[in-house]
Amino acid sequence: MLKSWKLKEVVLMSLFAVVFGIIYLLFVHAANIWAAVIGPLAYEWMFGIWFIVSIICMYIIRKPGAAFMSETMAAAIEVLIGNAMGPRLILSGVIQGLGAEAAFALTGYKHFNILVLMLAGIGSAVFSFVYSYFISGYAALDPSFVALMFTIRVLSGAIIAGIGGKYIGDALLATGSLRGYAIARAKKGDVNA
Amino acid sequence: MRNLLHEMNPSVKFLLITLSMLAIAFFFNPWTPLLFWAGIILLQLTMSRINWKLWLLFMLPFFIGAFGYLWTTVVFGADTGGTVIWSFAGIDVTDEQWARALSLAFRVMAFSTLSLLFAFTTDPVKFILSLMQQLKLSPKLAYGIMVGYQFLPVMKDEFTQIQQAHRLRGAEMKKRSWQRLLEMRRVLIPMLAGAVRKAERSAFAMEARGFTGEPRSAYYRPVRIGRIDFLMSGVFFLILLISCVGGSWLS
Repeated sequence: MLKSWKLKEVVLMSLFAVVFGIIYLLFVHAANIWAAVIGPLAYEWMFGIWFIVSIICMYIIRKPGAAFMSETMAAAIEVLIGNAMGPRLILSGVIQGLGAEAAFALTGYKHFNILVLMLAGIGSAVFSFVYSYFISGYAALDPSFVALMFTIRVLSGAIIAGIGGKYIGDALLATGSLRGYAIARAKKGDVNA
Repeated sequence: MRNLLHEMNPSVKFLLITLSMLAIAFFFNPWTPLLFWAGIILLQLTMSRINWKLWLLFMLPFFIGAFGYLWTTVVFGADTGGTVIWSFAGIDVTDEQWARALSLAFRVMAFSTLSLLFAFTTDPVKFILSLMQQLKLSPKLAYGIMVGYQFLPVMKDEFTQIQQAHRLRGAEMKKRSWQRLLEMRRVLIPMLAGAVRKAERSAFAMEARGFTGEPRSAYYRPVRIGRIDFLMSGVFFLILLISCVGGSWLS
């Protein structure tokens, strides 16, 4: 899978993972404090933030694996920085990344419009929810409460990760620093966007 | 004895921790996570040299988070039956529900402690090297991640610089927190643009020095699996076994 990847694309993912790894950690701490007041519901509306790097990287690089690897890298960087969530973040990063990747794979890595990006956010939300259901023991909660959590997470994935990711990607493209990546070529019309 | 956890192979430690967490997640009685939590603390007390003050500081948010889990599970818990032990503000709490709530709260504590164990006893660079050597992570990715890791302090400086530049030009910070959240864009985009350029430069530099990203058979800094790892795997599985069996037996 990595054969077709240029080194600069891998390093780009890694540096994005650093920037977003720090942001992710800040939000983990904010969410933890919230969680004391309103319980696990606090994490749900923020979940989209934790999916965003996979969507931005895929939007820019447009190669199979970009979503999965960037999210996993962000999780690895979070672990390297050192935090109390520790290695389990890597597992959740892998799962969230796979969710976004699945959405892009479904569309054959051909379209990167806002709908597909939102679908990727939803994919991450669904995958991560199944994992949380198991690891955080949501089975112990009332089904209607779990349904509420699920709805909020899916919305957050679609809006914050999907729309937010596209917004950041486009803003970054406007700075002109993305020349030499698939996103800039697509805009010029070499590749169908 | 006090440095056993520090000397373990990081990949082995990582796998053990992940496995234990997945195993504990199957249990909904309060005793299993409690026993497991106690076991992990004992492990840290006897086999590591960690700063306990720092440990407490890191655990504090999770104490609070565990409390959040406790009360949501009590209030929004699934219907499980059982006898009502107390009522409060129109909510009847059954013994079953209380046990599950305690179980989830202890689970949060046990998982956080386990994660801190990893964070406090593992050298980040050695962890990546070990992922590459034992778990066959592609060198392209492994060194990519390490480049990112090395850029951390640079990113921090850049963040301060961008903020100072904004202040110099008279861009004011908004008072309200949600407004400030939207303003994040003004810092985020320049930082990401800088990241793109740095990525390109370091990738060129690496390739210019002959880095191909091909898998290799010999490493400059070998990380190995030794006798300690087998010993510690035994200890981990013992703790896991005691808490699973003991927990089911006690409840």
